[in-house]
Amino acid sequence: MLRQILLHIFYQLNNERTINAAYHLLRGKRSGQTIQDVGIFKLYPYFGILRKLARPVFEDGVNSLGVEGWIRTDDNGYFTLTESGLEQVRKLALPFFDGWHYQGNEHIFYGRLSLIVQSLSNQAAGIRSFIPVQRNEEIQGWCRQFLLASDFRSGMLQQALFHEMKTSMEQSGLSTLQKELLVERLTGVGVTGIPWQQLSFEHEMTELDCQLLFISALHKWLDTIHQHNEQFPYLLKLAENIRIDNVLTGSAYQTAQMYNQGYSLEQISAMRRLKASTIEDHLVELAMNEPTFDSTPFISHEQHEAVQQAVRTYATRKLRVLHDALPHLSYFQIRLALAKGEV
Amino acid sequence: MLEQRLQEIFGYSEFRPGQKEIIEHLLEGRDCIALLPTGMGKSMCYQLPGYMFDKPVLIVSPLLSLMQDQVDQLRQRGEKRVVALNSFLSPNKKTYALHFLHEYRFIFTSPEMLTQPQVRQRLQSMELSLIVADEAHCISQWGFDFRPDYLRIGEILGEGRPPVLALTATATDSVLADIKKYLSMKEPYQFIHNVNRENIKLAKYMFDKKEEKHEWILEHVKNTAGPGIVYMSSRKRCDEFSQLLIENHIRAASYHAGKDAEDRQFIQQQFIQNDVEWIVATNAFGMGVHKDDIRQVIHESMPANVSNYMQEIGRAGRDGKDALAILLYADGDEHYARYIAIEDLPKTMHVDAYAAYRQMQQNPTVMLHDEGMSETAFRVLDYWMQQEPQEAVKQRLLNMEENKHTAVREMANIIHMSTCMRAKLVEYFGQTLIKTQEVCCTECGLEMDKIIGPRRKVTKQALMTWDGRLQKLLFGHI
Repeated sequence: MLRQILLHIFYQLNNERTINAAYHLLRGKRSGQTIQDVGIFKLYPYFGILRKLARPVFEDGVNSLGVEGWIRTDDNGYFTLTESGLEQVRKLALPFFDGWHYQGNEHIFYGRLSLIVQSLSNQAAGIRSFIPVQRNEEIQGWCRQFLLASDFRSGMLQQALFHEMKTSMEQSGLSTLQKELLVERLTGVGVTGIPWQQLSFEHEMTELDCQLLFISALHKWLDTIHQHNEQFPYLLKLAENIRIDNVLTGSAYQTAQMYNQGYSLEQISAMRRLKASTIEDHLVELAMNEPTFDSTPFISHEQHEAVQQAVRTYATRKLRVLHDALPHLSYFQIRLALAKGEV
Repeated sequence: MLEQRLQEIFGYSEFRPGQKEIIEHLLEGRDCIALLPTGMGKSMCYQLPGYMFDKPVLIVSPLLSLMQDQVDQLRQRGEKRVVALNSFLSPNKKTYALHFLHEYRFIFTSPEMLTQPQVRQRLQSMELSLIVADEAHCISQWGFDFRPDYLRIGEILGEGRPPVLALTATATDSVLADIKKYLSMKEPYQFIHNVNRENIKLAKYMFDKKEEKHEWILEHVKNTAGPGIVYMSSRKRCDEFSQLLIENHIRAASYHAGKDAEDRQFIQQQFIQNDVEWIVATNAFGMGVHKDDIRQVIHESMPANVSNYMQEIGRAGRDGKDALAILLYADGDEHYARYIAIEDLPKTMHVDAYAAYRQMQQNPTVMLHDEGMSETAFRVLDYWMQQEPQEAVKQRLLNMEENKHTAVREMANIIHMSTCMRAKLVEYFGQTLIKTQEVCCTECGLEMDKIIGPRRKVTKQALMTWDGRLQKLLFGHI
């Protein structure tokens, strides 16, 4: 599946970035460039879905696209999709991902869930101490609080959690395979969690595909939990601070606050002792993430429309090309227009 | 009465060999060296005293996984006054732990942490009842797993120090001498366990080609009873070979340091519950695995030294029943073993590169990325470069390399010589075989089916439905 995901990313990147851009995207690199690429090329689903992706695994994936004849790479790390590559893109049927809003946090949610299920399982069996499946002390502390606050000894929590999990998983539109994966990585008394290698054999797919389907399942499930929040109070609690709705980086967030308080770009730059170009990066990030962001102080409606028109005419999002076409606009203005997209 | 305290606190009615003598000497304030095989109750030697002293016990442990395992065990027994000072601790937790350090009963730490000034000062400023050097062979450059930071333990051993307990599973005479020297031990009491394990029968098989070994193991595993471990020399081989076993309907799992933490726990659990019959592992598997009925340990190729070999086969037959250790050998295995043995040693070019970085006033730690050095290799290099001039370090590294090569030759001797394997192994540790045994090793004559039974076929359990599994997890039944 990694191969299909890479093909889709390369298609979206429109031959305008090197293959490295895909690597940073999948690992969720928090750099201005990668974050802007997400917005410009609409790569929200894949941001940070494989935070530990190893370079050799990534390269194997890219190479296999070349072997299939779907892409051609050149020496500078740029690539072109071939005819058969484009044909493949039309046939793609990829599972749902929402990397942008979870960025790996889905694993914290699952870590909490697995430790709580393990605790309840041991409690039901009358076992008081066991080796916790989660080593992370923050997760351990969180779960301790949750269990104490939920009166876990009464047996009611088991009932409620079972009901919530079963109902919400059924409502999520997950495939049977995905539901299986979600419970197979849980561990308890007499039911040990199943290692990826065995899951790969049982389900007849690679370990990485199992992991990707698992991540997809988590994204879908978390969305359902958020959408029907009043129905699943315990799961909603478990999903506390997992979904990232305000995706701005720390520094960009400060700029955004000052901007919303009415300070100008120059004032912010002076007050924060940051270069104007840095503040511009922040504003572009803000434009990308906040639908209500008003860009008119920097770029007029007509100018914005001109950029969109140029994108269509030249079939590119390359800044240099657009700047050549619209020399009266600054790079900053063009980036703002790209970030905001169609209005 | 020590037995009474043992019963009260741990629920055991008697000590295992050596434990009582060691604890008695520690309580009298005497230094001790305990040479006990893994799984023979090394940790009891400091755990029981921990409940009899009123000041904390400091345990220095060079292996993080082992440290975590011991902390888990203590916590599982309900001990709350236990802390692990290691690099995983967040800054907040570390500040908290250091502030209340005197309140803990057991303080675990790594040699690396001892190099941090705030940790060292805190430890120097407080009273301890006992200092334990776990895996003490790591303190010796003659040991197979030398950790230079371990030498810093000497820095917290000031005047009027508490007794020191050195624990190790394997040590030759030269290693023992180093342990005494660097821990400045005064006439320590030594308990040396008999290294011979009679119930582990020793087999070896010779092959012309490496490839034949895999076929042999597959056939062997198909026909004989587990549970067992197959040791292999690389992660990739573990993954591939375990896959082959699984495809042949053998319940196997690959285990190495590249697996995620959950997987490692699941696999250990499955192995203990006999859901998995064979583990195909690198030498990362074994420490902290508490399973008494392992019947077979197979080495797909020769280990880099005799100590590793003894430690790995020693995981078999802890229940005292017959077990089998099989060593496979093909021509040329020494070359690979030599390569593995020095893989983690810095090379001469690294010494020069380190010196160059220092000259340019750059931090040599960039070598970890730029020169592709392993972390272990860098730590060894970093330590000696701060102690000695460049040329001396080069000479030292060459000596270390030569030692590693010697260790491989010693292992090869045990394979190639046609005298009793058991006698040679025991001699290596400076002991002599007191009595011969009827079923001993390939050289003395060995019939495998008298030791290991035929494989019992297990009918595959039907997979649970997802909601059935969830129900079983939460309520214990379907």
